[in-house]
Amino acid sequence: MSVIFPRWMNSLPPVLAVGVVGGLTAAVGLFWYYATPKFWRVGYMPVQPGGGFNHQLHAGKLGMDCRYCHSKIEQSSEANIPSVHVCYGCHADNRLVQFTNATHKAKTDFVREAYVKDEPIAWNRVHKLPDYVRNFPHDIHIAAGVSCYSCHGQIMGMPIVYHAQPLSMSWCLDCHRDVQVNPQNHLVPKDMVTKLIAVENRLANPQEHAGEAAKLLENIKLVPPENCGACHY
Amino acid sequence: MSSAMHPDEATARRLAGLAAAPAAPPNPDHGDGSLIDEPGVRAPLVLGNRSFGDVTNIVCGYIENKPARWWLPAVLFTGSIAGLGGLFIGYLVITGIGTWGLNNQVDWAWDITNFVFWIGIGHAGTLISAILCLLKQKWRTAINRSAEAMTIFAVICAATFPGIHIGRQWMAWMLFPIPNANAIWPNFRSPLLWDVFAVSTYGTVSLLFWYMGMIPDLATLRDRADARLRRNPNGATILPFVPIRIDRVRAFVYGLLAVGWRFSSRHWHRYEAAYLVLAGISTPLVLSVHSIVSFDFATSIIPGWHTTIFPPYFVAGAIFGGFAMVLLLLIPFRILFPYMRDLITLRHLENMAKIVLATGMMVGFAYGMEFFIAWYSGSKFEQEAFLYNRLMPPFLVGEGERYAPYWWAYWSMIGCNVLSPQLFWFKAMRRSPLVIFIVSLLVTIGMWFERFVIIVTSLHRAFLPGEWHMFHPTLVDILIFVGSCGVFLTLFLLFARYLPMFAMAEVKAVLPQASPHHGEEPTTAAYSTTGGH
Repeated sequence: MSVIFPRWMNSLPPVLAVGVVGGLTAAVGLFWYYATPKFWRVGYMPVQPGGGFNHQLHAGKLGMDCRYCHSKIEQSSEANIPSVHVCYGCHADNRLVQFTNATHKAKTDFVREAYVKDEPIAWNRVHKLPDYVRNFPHDIHIAAGVSCYSCHGQIMGMPIVYHAQPLSMSWCLDCHRDVQVNPQNHLVPKDMVTKLIAVENRLANPQEHAGEAAKLLENIKLVPPENCGACHY
Repeated sequence: MSSAMHPDEATARRLAGLAAAPAAPPNPDHGDGSLIDEPGVRAPLVLGNRSFGDVTNIVCGYIENKPARWWLPAVLFTGSIAGLGGLFIGYLVITGIGTWGLNNQVDWAWDITNFVFWIGIGHAGTLISAILCLLKQKWRTAINRSAEAMTIFAVICAATFPGIHIGRQWMAWMLFPIPNANAIWPNFRSPLLWDVFAVSTYGTVSLLFWYMGMIPDLATLRDRADARLRRNPNGATILPFVPIRIDRVRAFVYGLLAVGWRFSSRHWHRYEAAYLVLAGISTPLVLSVHSIVSFDFATSIIPGWHTTIFPPYFVAGAIFGGFAMVLLLLIPFRILFPYMRDLITLRHLENMAKIVLATGMMVGFAYGMEFFIAWYSGSKFEQEAFLYNRLMPPFLVGEGERYAPYWWAYWSMIGCNVLSPQLFWFKAMRRSPLVIFIVSLLVTIGMWFERFVIIVTSLHRAFLPGEWHMFHPTLVDILIFVGSCGVFLTLFLLFARYLPMFAMAEVKAVLPQASPHHGEEPTTAAYSTTGGH
């Protein structure tokens, strides 16, 4: 019999075996890392009009309450984006002394321009659930004692808002399942929900509040739903 | 035996199968020579006094010689039908399954009908290769390779339909329990998930069985290509002016596929053991796969589906339809491929026709039993479903009375599946390739209608009359099904051209020369080739 295959092909089976197993492992690993919401949603930070609303300044340094602008979160599913009138309430011409500062004035001119033209500011949406998911009910979660911090992260430290959590379905379910077991990791007293720095400190040491959190869970008498229809119509 | 030959050499030649078989006197009563009805005589399984070398030359010749003139046009024709089906699948994926005739009431229709139809077809191949192997039915050797190939191609066609009917086809991976960012796990209590496992196991085992059985034959093809190359290094090239020899390519490709098979005794020993193990694994699959497919229906509460007879009824129907498809493929091939009639004799066709008759009777029994149980159980819904969803034709009920809108589908099924195989009670009918071909065609149509009847007639009028809806297929429905037939035929034609259609070693083992007593003078009636008592 003549030589059909070159000698190096004797090493083909082990090379193939290693290649196939390694290739499959690599494919699964790469997919796992790069193609899940942990990677492609977290950190999403679109460019906003006027450089973006500085949450670090307003909610962090100045200590404004979330509900000053997102005024309907306790009554509505939707966390409303404030109209330009809310911005203008503070940023009107010569409204506050420090607004006379020329740099600041230039930075916020777009608010006054929009107000004069009576047009909304075209903010870009950062957090968006797929269309087969109902609107995330902010009112229900706040009433249950889930802080803004739990889903939006260190919003009080963000000069421009970015996506802090994956918002994947398993991420939702992780909390819905875990809250019964470890309420101290997820629940805060209702009057604390928007006090983000306090919440951050509290959630950093959850065990100190375990007893209180268990009571919170008991008081709301809530079993977070896990059925399909809770989130998908 | 030549007197000049040394007796030892004669024995050696005989044992090597080089001695010619004794010429059987042609007897007009024995058809092509295989239809010997005397109980004391074994009918020959290979005709024409073929030697071992003949078998190899015939089987390899289909691959190595130029294809017949019909082959290329046939492949182009079936291939373009397959491509048409592919285009319409593309249209379906882009547009959505609203392009099918489905509606809220009939939410399974042609898609699942086609799935069950194709998956059923495959069962004959597994039965022939596994169960008939364990039962030592020697006639299976002539048909097992092509029937196994048919199984795999049928599973490919079948798997397409659940894959595309889910609506968002890019989510098809969700059929499998794969960890994902949605924390969704398939419902392990659903027969649809069992189906995924049953069909994927079936496809995998069938593919392994088919490929493993083919390894020695692929090695034969490799060695023959190599030998031709050595005899004539300047043989035909793959294209004019491209200096790559066809036989070089053949030796390489078949050599890769033959994974180093060298025909050593040790190889054969391992091969036989592995073959038996795979036959053992495949045997329960013949019964389990279609049982699980039937659970898709039987575990629901829809009248007409909620029936305990479904698993055996589906298995019998699968073997019934599968054998019909084997016959439908092999009868034309016996005509189109020269010498194939020596390997697939009328006896083989008759045996398969008998299986078609037997399984057809089982299916007919199941049809009857469904009506009996509907009456005997006293379930009104069941009775309604059978009488007014399926059975009652308009001309049997009075003017303006209710009748079953799909009565024509039901009666097509009865005519094709129950009545047409009854022809095989007559010896002349089950020995005529033409009659067998026509009946097989009817059975194949009937078995498609059976699945259509089960699925659509039960769904179109379920519990709430306000939701009753008729199902009408659209062009997309029809062309995707026709396309799947094109895929099936194209794959089979390619198989017949490029892979060995017969298990050569097994066919040789049933030649008279393979018997240790071959060539000896008959001493007792037991070894008589002329029969008589």
